[in-house]
Amino acid sequence: MARELWKGNEALAEAAVRAGAEAFFGYPITPQTELLEYMARRMPELGRTFLQAESEIAAIHMVYGAACAGVRALSSSSSPGISLMQEGLSYLAGSEVPCVLVDIMRGGPGLGNIQPSQSDYFQLTRSAGHGDFHPLVLAPSTVQEAVDLMYASFDLAFGWRTLVILAGDGTLGQMMEPVEMPPMRALAVERPDWALTGAAGRSPRVISSLYLDAAELEQSNLRLQAKLQQMAATQQRWESFCVEDADYLVVAFGTVARIAQSAVRAARRAGIRVGLFRPVTLWPYPRQPLDAICPQLRGVLVVEMNGGQMVEDVRCVVRERVPVRFLGHLGGVIPMPDEIEAELAQLVSLSGRAAFS
Amino acid sequence: MAQGTLLIQTDRCKGCGLCIRACPQQVLVAGQHFNALGYQPVQLDEALRRCTGCGVCAWVCPDLVFTVYRESAGRAG
Repeated sequence: MARELWKGNEALAEAAVRAGAEAFFGYPITPQTELLEYMARRMPELGRTFLQAESEIAAIHMVYGAACAGVRALSSSSSPGISLMQEGLSYLAGSEVPCVLVDIMRGGPGLGNIQPSQSDYFQLTRSAGHGDFHPLVLAPSTVQEAVDLMYASFDLAFGWRTLVILAGDGTLGQMMEPVEMPPMRALAVERPDWALTGAAGRSPRVISSLYLDAAELEQSNLRLQAKLQQMAATQQRWESFCVEDADYLVVAFGTVARIAQSAVRAARRAGIRVGLFRPVTLWPYPRQPLDAICPQLRGVLVVEMNGGQMVEDVRCVVRERVPVRFLGHLGGVIPMPDEIEAELAQLVSLSGRAAFS
Repeated sequence: MAQGTLLIQTDRCKGCGLCIRACPQQVLVAGQHFNALGYQPVQLDEALRRCTGCGVCAWVCPDLVFTVYRESAGRAG
C-alpha cells in the first residue's frame, strides 16, 4: 500500500468511495467543501450518484430516500448545515434507516466563522434532532483515522440500522497528512431485507416514522432504546496514552487530543505522571474504560475547543472522586501545548499532594 | 546573504501559519484581509527586506502557494 499525502476532506471522500458509497447528496460549506468537490468529480467517474442539492435540508432528505432503498448514501456538511439537517436526521432515526454523515465543525453559534471548533458536541451526541435517539458519533484525530473510521462507518450504519456521524473539525478537514488508503470494495449487490426495492413477488414494505397510536409509538421507541443500550454497551471506542502509572489524566478528543498528547509528553519530561484518554466514540461515550482509570487518579483536566461540553460526560463518570478542571477555547482559537501544561501544573498544585515521581 | 522575494498565491492560502513558524528570517506574517476562501492569507513583510529566498516556506506549505525568487550571485544585471 502506498502512503500518499491527502487533505482531510478529500481523504474522507475517497475513503467513503472505497467503503462502497453509492450516492452522495450535499451542499457546499466551508471548511467541508473539498469533500463535496471531490465527490462531484469522483462519483460520476465510477458511475455512482453525486447530486448537489438546493440546500442541506434537501440533501439529507435525498439521503433518507436513497437509504430507504437500501443504498449506501452519505452527506457531509459543517455546523450550520448540520443544524439545517436535523429534521431529516430525526426522520432517519425514527425510521431506523442507516446513513453516514460528516460534520467538519466550525466556530459558532450562528454563522460563526470557518475556523476549527468542537462546539457541536452537544448537538451531535445528545440526539442531533428531535425525539429520543443518539447517532453513533466517531471523532477521528488524524487524517488516517478519519479514513479508517469512514471505511468502517457504513458497516456500522447498516449493521445497527443507525445514523453514523463522523465528527471532525476545520483543522482535520483542511490538514494534509500521509495516509494509506484501504482497498476499493465491491458495491453491495444484495439489498437489506427491510429496503424498499419494489414489491415484485413479495408483499409491500413500509418505512415510516409516523405512529399515531401512542402505545404503538412507545413500543417503537422502546425497541429503539433497547438497541441504543446494546450499542452503548458494545460500541465504546477509545485510545489511551501513558495511563498505566498516571496520577493525572488529560481527556480530549479529535484534533485537541493531538495537542494534548504533546503537552502530556512535555509534562512527563518535567516529572508529572500524567496520561491522556481520548474518546474515539463521543456517543456512546467510553464511560467504562474512563471509570476504570479513575481510582488511581488525583485530578483530571479536560481540554476542548468549546465552552465545556464533553467535560459534562467526564464529570458524570468521575463523580467528584477527584477534581475535574476544564480548559477551553472558542470561536476557532486552537489551544496550545504550553497552555495545557500550565493548566496541568495548576491541577497538580491544587490537588494538594506531591505528585512528582 | 542572497536577497529573495516571494510570489504568494493568496487565493489558495488557508492561513495555517506553518510557513510563519518555519521561516528562519521571520519575514512572514498573517494578513489582515480575508481571501475568497475566508481565510487570512500569509504575507511577506516587504519592509523587512530580509527574505533570502531560502525556500523553507515553499517546503512546508501544504497548499503550494509560494513561488520563490532568489537573487543570483553570478550573473547580476
